[in-house]
Amino acid sequence: MIDVKHLSKSFGEVEVLKDINETIDKGEKVVIVGPSGSGKSTFLRCLNLMEKPTSGDIFFEGENITQANEHEMNKLRQRMGMVFQHFNLFPHLTIKKNITLAPVKLGLMTADEADKKAEELLERVGLPDKADEYPSRLSGGQKQRIAIARSLAMNPEVMLFDEPTSALDPEMVGEVLELMKQLANDGMTMVVVTHEMGFAREVASRVLFMADGKILEQNKPSEFFAHPENQRLKDFLSKII
Amino acid sequence: MNKLIDDFQQNFLDESRWHYLTNGLKTTLIITFFAVILGFVLGFLVAIVRSTHDKTGKMKILNALCRVYLTVIRGTPMVVQLLITYFVIFGSVNIDKTLVAVLAFGVNSGAYVAEIVRSGIMSVDNGQFEAGRSLGLSYRQTMISIVLPQAFKTVLPALANECIVLLKETSVAGYIAIQDLTKGGDIIRSQTFSAFMPLITVALIYLIMVVVLTHLVGKLERRLSQSDRR
Repeated sequence: MIDVKHLSKSFGEVEVLKDINETIDKGEKVVIVGPSGSGKSTFLRCLNLMEKPTSGDIFFEGENITQANEHEMNKLRQRMGMVFQHFNLFPHLTIKKNITLAPVKLGLMTADEADKKAEELLERVGLPDKADEYPSRLSGGQKQRIAIARSLAMNPEVMLFDEPTSALDPEMVGEVLELMKQLANDGMTMVVVTHEMGFAREVASRVLFMADGKILEQNKPSEFFAHPENQRLKDFLSKII
Repeated sequence: MNKLIDDFQQNFLDESRWHYLTNGLKTTLIITFFAVILGFVLGFLVAIVRSTHDKTGKMKILNALCRVYLTVIRGTPMVVQLLITYFVIFGSVNIDKTLVAVLAFGVNSGAYVAEIVRSGIMSVDNGQFEAGRSLGLSYRQTMISIVLPQAFKTVLPALANECIVLLKETSVAGYIAIQDLTKGGDIIRSQTFSAFMPLITVALIYLIMVVVLTHLVGKLERRLSQSDRR
């Protein structure tokens, strides 16, 4: 589904991603872990072109997306949902409007269809009574669940999660991870950057370890955590578990 | 007390002098109203060009033009701009003075509105932009549906202030012989040789307009802040 070939990304002098090659298949749940500054988020953001790669190619469903023009880029992003660390809900709009804005503005649904879809999604994320509230009235966990619902409203083929629980109070992490698990069970293709090792262990079909802009090791979660090979990974795991 | 009544009689009632004030007020309001509209339109456009340049590096030439506009307008006095507009730019054409004033004040106000709105746009968290773009909205759609409404709310008090400044600034319209409110009061003074009554009245009228305007903006602000309530 997503093919990454020789992907490099620099910010000025700093090379954040160094010649990354990776393939993500349909239905996979890929979890990316690693120390901060390792390029995890940048890698994720390259996948939907929120960051423009410095060199290399990314293929989505066989199409090279790195040379996409504005219009193609917007089309591509409609097929890839993204969830941010800081939720980034639209504070001036009600929850329902947050969810329906993009599908309606992009002409994918009528206002009525979008409203119905929003109600469905709110039911699914367990917040059916919040439709007419503003984001400022929600807790962090609720905000993130709405952000996920907002992405799902576009019927994406892939969901990208950029540290979705890192900005949450501990007691709210569970509800968001639970929702992500449901999503995984429903067969969504997911790429998740996270520090939640429990989630990686339980949900991932594959775990990638990134450090210094490279993918140093990857494996099934059982092997990944039980028998790490790379020294950096061993150090990393010993520090967090 | 009798003197005050005499004064009033002489300044406003004799020869229907109060017409100078009402007609002047009408002119002042017309100039302000249309200049505000022109200023807002110009200001928003310039702000969008400038912040698009700041965010994406595109629109280099337009941005340079906008910067020249801002520098010239903000670097020269309003009265001089008004005189130049009337005597130089439209010097050889027969054109309605009020229209000249609308253009001059609108173009002047646009420069200030532009910087106010730009600061509002830049104050919106970049995450809002990213969220919009990640959903597949174009730059323009993200700007219009997500960023500008939030920016507008932030800068509303500053914009209201700009309206008030503009309303009072139009009092220099007399420089090109427009009979606005200020000029109206001054004409009465020159006819009756009494300064107190007409000038204080003019000041009061400005004051009342500003107070009403401030009140209305406060109302609007409260309505827009609905989404902030916790």
